[in-house]
Amino acid sequence: MGRKKKKQSKPWCWYCNREFEDEKILIQHQKAKHFKCHICHKKLYTGPGLSIHCMQVHKEAIDKVPNSLPNRSNIEIEIYGMEGIPQADLKEHERQKAGSRPSGSDDEEDDEPAAKKPKPEGLLGTAPGVMPGMPMMQGMMPPHMQGMPPGMQMGHMMAMGPMGPHFMHHGMPMMPPHMAMMQQQGGPPKPLFPSAVPSSSPSSAVVGADFKPITSGATISAPPTTNNLSASSSTSSAPDTSKVNTITTTSAASKIIHPAEDISLEEIRARHHKYKKSIPTKVERESPHTQSTSSVASDLAMAVSAAHQAAVRQQDIIHQAQAAMMQRFPPMRPPISIAGTPVSSMSLVAPMRPMAIPGPPTLLGGPIMRPPMGMPPGMIGMPPGVLYGPPMFGTGPVIMQPRFR
Amino acid sequence: MFNQSPFGQTAAQSVPNPMKDYEVTSPPDDSISCLSFSPATIPQNFLIAGSWDNHVRCWEVEQTGRTIPKSMQTCGGPVLDVCWSDDGTKVFMAGCDKQAKAWDLGSNQVVQVAAHDAPIKTCHWIKAPNYSCLMTGSWDKTLKFWDTRSPNPILSLNLPDRCYCADVDYPMAVVGTAGRQIIIYQLEGKPEEYKRTESPLKYQHRCVAIFKDKKKVPTGYALGSVEGRVAIQYVNPTSPKDNFTFKCHRSTGALNGFQDIYAVNDIAFHSVHGTLATVGSDGTFSFWDKDARTKLKPSEAMEQPITRCAFNNSGQIFAYAVSYDWSKGHEFYNTSKKNYIFLRSCYDELKPRSSP
Repeated sequence: MGRKKKKQSKPWCWYCNREFEDEKILIQHQKAKHFKCHICHKKLYTGPGLSIHCMQVHKEAIDKVPNSLPNRSNIEIEIYGMEGIPQADLKEHERQKAGSRPSGSDDEEDDEPAAKKPKPEGLLGTAPGVMPGMPMMQGMMPPHMQGMPPGMQMGHMMAMGPMGPHFMHHGMPMMPPHMAMMQQQGGPPKPLFPSAVPSSSPSSAVVGADFKPITSGATISAPPTTNNLSASSSTSSAPDTSKVNTITTTSAASKIIHPAEDISLEEIRARHHKYKKSIPTKVERESPHTQSTSSVASDLAMAVSAAHQAAVRQQDIIHQAQAAMMQRFPPMRPPISIAGTPVSSMSLVAPMRPMAIPGPPTLLGGPIMRPPMGMPPGMIGMPPGVLYGPPMFGTGPVIMQPRFR
Repeated sequence: MFNQSPFGQTAAQSVPNPMKDYEVTSPPDDSISCLSFSPATIPQNFLIAGSWDNHVRCWEVEQTGRTIPKSMQTCGGPVLDVCWSDDGTKVFMAGCDKQAKAWDLGSNQVVQVAAHDAPIKTCHWIKAPNYSCLMTGSWDKTLKFWDTRSPNPILSLNLPDRCYCADVDYPMAVVGTAGRQIIIYQLEGKPEEYKRTESPLKYQHRCVAIFKDKKKVPTGYALGSVEGRVAIQYVNPTSPKDNFTFKCHRSTGALNGFQDIYAVNDIAFHSVHGTLATVGSDGTFSFWDKDARTKLKPSEAMEQPITRCAFNNSGQIFAYAVSYDWSKGHEFYNTSKKNYIFLRSCYDELKPRSSP
């Protein structure tokens, strides 16, 4: 009976629910894991201590205890080892300890074998027990310091004011604002697994180990996923995940926003059917190194000749399109001339659109970047000389406008 | 200090342009995978962007902030990286079609200059006194160097794993690979491996950028991982304390008490001030001073992740691309969302604060 009592009151960390063999180690753990300044890595003694340190030394507000469970992140509660833990939480912890034992918990004899391997048991057991309660705690959280100090931000926006709004005039279709929310909210509920994985592996490491190359998950290189990319035919994602390492978060209170597979986002994306289609097109398989020959060459020949033949016509198109663009930005004109640098801006414009024929703006304004289907890739591009031709350089230096100085 | 509204960030989510920056006209139709400004050898500013829609686009950026679409080229697959030649006459484009191509802007011709056995993730132009070449890093675990006239690489080096990120600043190159490897190359004479170092980060490498010392000599690199963390690493640190990591692109967890950790998608150093910008899957960019170890400026959150960023050569314009980066999987890929490239006047914002 008495022995039992001692076991149950094993010291535990209020912030992360971990149990320790004795309170000294618990205090070490708290200093390293929960009271360490993330900026200078100084170890403080309590949550409020950390908060004051960050505020005074780094001018940063800390709103939560690092690496803490969501409902235990209150930085204002002063906890040192087992001291300062709210009574209610102490009781709850005892209750959960008792409750999470697998066998008939009333019978004390049965507890004995289970207690032989207390660590994994307790850690796995506590995670699910704690998580569900978490959302309720939100109201209690101290206000967050996010974003920038208001003064700085506003000041900057004001500075942008007179010039900035120009862009708001153009006719680009804007996304309805509510659409953006989907991304943020729609994520799956935070999984429980991250808490189980990491807390068992560094169980002996008391130190926060911020710089230590642990995390077995990511060290060993993944099997060649490039095979999957080139093997075009079968992209069964399920087998992949089993072979490939996964990305797991080391803290119960955080989640890395990344697909579980530990390969780059681009590799994952390239497997998507939308992009796979376009990869195995033309050239590729036939002797890739015959620069400027084979199909590339034919494309090129077309493009080149087309470019030459259509140079004049293109120029017209571009002129018209640019004229159209000019029309789209009526408010752009005054600043240019007001800024007192008509030389630079106008001379750049002049050789390219003489007389600025105002063509039909609505037709040509947008599609300049998107050639009609049948056109070879080179067609719509800049005709020789327009971009790099002498007229542009001949007109004298580009004078910096105040905007980008 | 304490009474700031915790709702500021979430409210900003719905605004397409929360920072009121200049929007590039006719943006790509799919996510933007790479951004690059023309080098100082050209008086104007041209911006090149590659996209998952297989196209590479070129705009002229006027000093007023206005952008003029100039031209477009098509690749055989999604484009993963672009770079400029040092003289500004060519743009190199590499991607999922396993090729790199040179786009001669003067003649508007495109020529294949490199090939790999797997998609090419990075391409960089190397300009050395005695040679110039294109460096390509691929998922086929090789790093190759091409003189653009020969169908064979002048050099092919094996990587320990797939190339995920790279940067070049003569005479230094750095490559980050899968399996958290990092390899430094020296490019003087000819490219050769200089050093392999243990990664300072515990999670997948995502982006890397070389920084210079006060004398403008490349001296180290910043490495970003998917776990919202950047490591500042010196190649030859004078003291072990020179190297450090910092956290970024993490939510403060206002919504549900959890902290969401986002990938650092790109890092860029400011050519004049030596300060840096990071962009992340959380849809924000931040400006940092690595020497003072302070954050200079955070941004509001965009409605989608920021995939890439770039400074122009004079450090006056900061370009960032807002588009989906697959960080939440294909389920969150929404083709009806518009992709944006924004331009920000940034020179003053990247000035280090303390002036001794």
